[in-house]
Amino acid sequence: MSIAIIGVAEVPTARDPDRTRWGILREVCMGAVRDAGIDKNDVGAVISVNPMAQPDLALDMALGRIPEVLGMEGCKDICVVNAGGASTTNALRMAKYFIDNNQADYVLIPHTTIQSDIPNETLINFFATAPLDPQWEYPYGVTFNGAMGLITNRYMHDSGATMEDMAAVTVALRGWGALDEMSIFHGKPVTLDDVMNSRMVSTPLHSKECNFLADGGGALLVTRSDIAREMGKPAAYEYGHGTRFTGATPVLRSDVYFTKAYRESSQDALKGAGLSIDDMDLRQIYGAYPFTQCTALEGYGVVPEGDGYKPWAEGRCGPGGDLPCTTMGDATGRGHTGSGVSMAFYIDTVRQLRGEAGRRQVKDCEHAIISTSGGSVMNTCTTVFGRSPK
Amino acid sequence: MSDYKKPLPKIQPYSQAFWDAAKSHQLVIQTCSDCDARIFFPRQQCPKCWSENLDWMKASGKGEIYAFSVTYEGVEQPFADDLPIILAWVDLEEGIRMQTNIVDCDPDDVSIGMQVEVTFQDVTDEISLPFFRPAK
Repeated sequence: MSIAIIGVAEVPTARDPDRTRWGILREVCMGAVRDAGIDKNDVGAVISVNPMAQPDLALDMALGRIPEVLGMEGCKDICVVNAGGASTTNALRMAKYFIDNNQADYVLIPHTTIQSDIPNETLINFFATAPLDPQWEYPYGVTFNGAMGLITNRYMHDSGATMEDMAAVTVALRGWGALDEMSIFHGKPVTLDDVMNSRMVSTPLHSKECNFLADGGGALLVTRSDIAREMGKPAAYEYGHGTRFTGATPVLRSDVYFTKAYRESSQDALKGAGLSIDDMDLRQIYGAYPFTQCTALEGYGVVPEGDGYKPWAEGRCGPGGDLPCTTMGDATGRGHTGSGVSMAFYIDTVRQLRGEAGRRQVKDCEHAIISTSGGSVMNTCTTVFGRSPK
Repeated sequence: MSDYKKPLPKIQPYSQAFWDAAKSHQLVIQTCSDCDARIFFPRQQCPKCWSENLDWMKASGKGEIYAFSVTYEGVEQPFADDLPIILAWVDLEEGIRMQTNIVDCDPDDVSIGMQVEVTFQDVTDEISLPFFRPAK
C-alpha cells in the first residue's frame, strides 16, 4: 500500500527566544491535523522525529506525551525514530508500517528543535562528536565543517570546479531561501562576492557555505493513498523509494562524494515509480553542504560524473533556472534545525506538488525526487513523489 | 604534558596495541590473519570475514595526502590556540586511509598528492598522537 502526505504545518526557521519547544510542537501538530482536514481523534499513531541535542523533549516524545497532551483519543501507539537527519524518512517508513497493518489510517509525524538556548560551545561539541569518531577523528580537531571541507576540496580537485563555482551553489540556495518566509534568510539573498568575501572557516568552505544553527518545527499528516484520493485534496503521493548506506565515518568511505549512493537509491526510487529522472520537475537534495547538491545531480544521472557543479555555476538550479533544485534551500539557504532539515524538505516538496510554494513555485510541478541523509551523509534516502494518485 | 586540554582518543581494549605502539613512535595497522585484510580503524573482528584471529603489522609511516582542509575557525576552545589546523586524509602505503593533521608545514604549501611521513607528538605520559609532515 502506498502512502500520501495530506497535511503539513511549520513554523519559520528562526532564533526566537519567545518560542518554546512545546509551543512549537503543539502548533505544528494541531496545524498538520487541521491542514489535512481530519479530526484529532482520527490520528492513529504519532511517530516523532528524534530531536538532536534535546534530551528532555526527546524523552517527552518517546514516552507518549504528545497524544496525551493533545487528547488524541484514537491514538493506538507512539514512538520516536532516530537516524539523525534521516529521522523524518524513517518516520515515514514507520507510518507506512502502521498503515499497512491497518493499525492507523492517519499518522502524525512531528518535529521540533530549539538550539538557540544551547551554549555555542555545547553545540560545537555536539556537532564535532556526534557524527565523528571519538578515537580516530575528534582528537585532530575535526569538525563537521572540517570533514565536509576535506571532501569539498577533493571534489574540486577531481572535477576541476573552482571556489567560485562552488560558491554559486550557495548563491542559488540562498536565492531560494530569500523567497521563502520559512527561511531564516527570507529577504536576504547573497551574491557570489558575498560568499567569497565571507570568513574562511575550513578551506574551501566560507562561513556562508556552512550551517547556521536555528530553531524550527514542522509536522506531516500521512494517510493511505486511496484515502487521500477519496478525500480529493491536493497531496504528495509516494511513488517509489530507495536507500543506500555509505558508512558512518567520513574518512573510511569509498563512496567519498556519495555519488554511487545517490545513483543506486535514485534508480530504485525511480524504478518503483515507473518513471525516469527526466520526468522529475524538481530535485530536492538534503546534503547540508553545497558539494552534495552537485554530486546528487551526478548520481541521479542529470549530468555526467564530475559535471554536477556546472548547472549550479550556470545559474540553472536556482530561482528562474530551467533545472530547479532544492527549492527548500537546504540547511545553507534555510538555517539548520538539527534533524528538522529533512522535515522541512518534505514539507516544501508537498507545497510544490500542491502548487502552494508561492514565489518559489516550480511551474506545473507534477513529480519531485527528494534525497535526505543522516549523520555526515551516512545514507541517501531517495523518494519520488507525485501530485496525483499513482 | 599533563596540562594537555584537547580531547584524547577514547581507547578501547582492542585498540590498545595501536596506542602502545604509538607511544614508542611506531605506526601499526591491524591485520586479519585469516583473510589478510588490513583494517582501519581497529576492531574486535575483521570487517571483511568476521575472523577474530587478528594481528598487527608495522607501517612504513609514509603516505600521500588524499584530501586536506585548513580550518581557521569553529573549533572547540582547546583547539583555538592551534589555528589554523591542517586537517588531512592520508593514504598510507599499506592501503589504509587515516584522518590526521599535517604539521611542520605552512598551510599555503599543503597540497593533494603531497608525500608525507608520520611524526609522533607525546601529548601526555600515556598518549602519543600520530601526525604527518611533508616527507624529507
